[in-house]
Amino acid sequence: MALPSLAIPHRDAGDTNGVYAIEARDLNVYYGNFRAVKDINLKVHRRQITAFIGPSGCGKSTLLRAFNRMNELIPNARASGKVLFQGQNIYDPRVDPVEVRRRIGMVFQKPNPFPKSIYENVAWGARINGYLGNMDALVEQSLRRAALWDEVKDKLHQSGLSLSGGQQQRLCIARAIAVRPEIILMDEPASALDPIATLKIEELMRELSEEYTIIIVTHNMQQAARVSDFTAFLLMDEDRAGVLVEYGPTRQIFTRPKDKRTEDYITGRFG
Amino acid sequence: MPTSTRAHFDKALQRLHESVLQLGSRARRAVANGLAALTDGDAELAREVIATDVEINRLRYDIEFECYSLLATEQPVAGDMRTIVAALTVVGDLERIADHGKKVARTYLRLLTDPRPMDLGEIPTLGALSLSMLDRALAAFATHDVATAEAVCRSDDQADAQYKRTFNAIVAAMVEDPQRISAGTHLLQIAHELERVADRATNVAERVIYTVTGELIELNI
Repeated sequence: MALPSLAIPHRDAGDTNGVYAIEARDLNVYYGNFRAVKDINLKVHRRQITAFIGPSGCGKSTLLRAFNRMNELIPNARASGKVLFQGQNIYDPRVDPVEVRRRIGMVFQKPNPFPKSIYENVAWGARINGYLGNMDALVEQSLRRAALWDEVKDKLHQSGLSLSGGQQQRLCIARAIAVRPEIILMDEPASALDPIATLKIEELMRELSEEYTIIIVTHNMQQAARVSDFTAFLLMDEDRAGVLVEYGPTRQIFTRPKDKRTEDYITGRFG
Repeated sequence: MPTSTRAHFDKALQRLHESVLQLGSRARRAVANGLAALTDGDAELAREVIATDVEINRLRYDIEFECYSLLATEQPVAGDMRTIVAALTVVGDLERIADHGKKVARTYLRLLTDPRPMDLGEIPTLGALSLSMLDRALAAFATHDVATAEAVCRSDDQADAQYKRTFNAIVAAMVEDPQRISAGTHLLQIAHELERVADRATNVAERVIYTVTGELIELNI
């Protein structure tokens, strides 16, 4: 592996002790004067799937994007507090946001393959990171991990856009994992897919969680229940800022939530 | 690479199935050892049966929690739903079967203090019949075998008849020698526990039929 040297050291440091992959500490995200998420404290478990659930506008996508500084691409967005990744605050001015986004990858709601071949979609990230290893092997390995290899191995040089929606999303996942991230953020990764393609993505997430930490935002509560190990429930407070109401093992949240607001939301009595 | 769109859930269902069978095996051992303590006069074994019951109860609650979690998180329907809800009722029956084994052991220890012991009469036969029904019910559960499950349910009449014979023999002995009323009452209690094992084995078999066919039927009438 010949990736460029890293701004963030590869180590388990600080209070993470290897149990947690990333931690938000007193995190606030603002769009201009509007505070979109408020005072979030959250430790994400390593190599587990954590789901953010909550009603529209509760800040769950904003919180997700704060975990790899993706909000900075939105004008007037800023964050306060810390996001600790391997003991280092990713918002430290010395940290390179591009490197953060390589180590903490992202898959979006709508599959967004490049208008290039399947092969090039996967190879692209590694290539721009200066990968000097065997690219064919990296492409194959990434496609295999994304459970797509068998479906595309005979047409690697066809356009990524020729694939079905579900395949395109798995291609985007292959592209994300080709640069060997440690965390994969997924923002509604299956909401544009049919039920079978959705279940394939969910099953793939389960497989990937053996190697990667996954954080998913979903509007689909049943999906959060099915696929995640931990669930964080967010809600808007009186200022319309997203606050973390409850966070715990998914099985606990869905069988014995501690907060009445969580119970009301997951049982459909919210509103 | 995932082989099924619900491979993770399939594995969870398989683990659930294995856990229920493990509970079944422990419950069976509790009854068999309770009975062996009685027939072999082994007080140590009886105390062991009583001591291990707490572990069996724990296992039942662990499986129950697993079922609740799967219901709450996997949205099971059709065969998946039947598998989980059947497991919920089966673990209740299995845990109670272990309780019957424990009560046999405990009653045997009480019998030891009785100055006028009594012959066990038909009790070993009743015990063997109940254990055989439990074995077949667990085998049916393990392999989703409806024919075996139905046969278990049909055997319950034999168990009832055997219980009646056992009951009548004990009562006759008590009438013949009122000094034996105390010991006889304990033996009646043991016979009752063993008959209940047969009833619960039938319940397990009924749930096998439900899991496979979706039919809710009472075969233990």
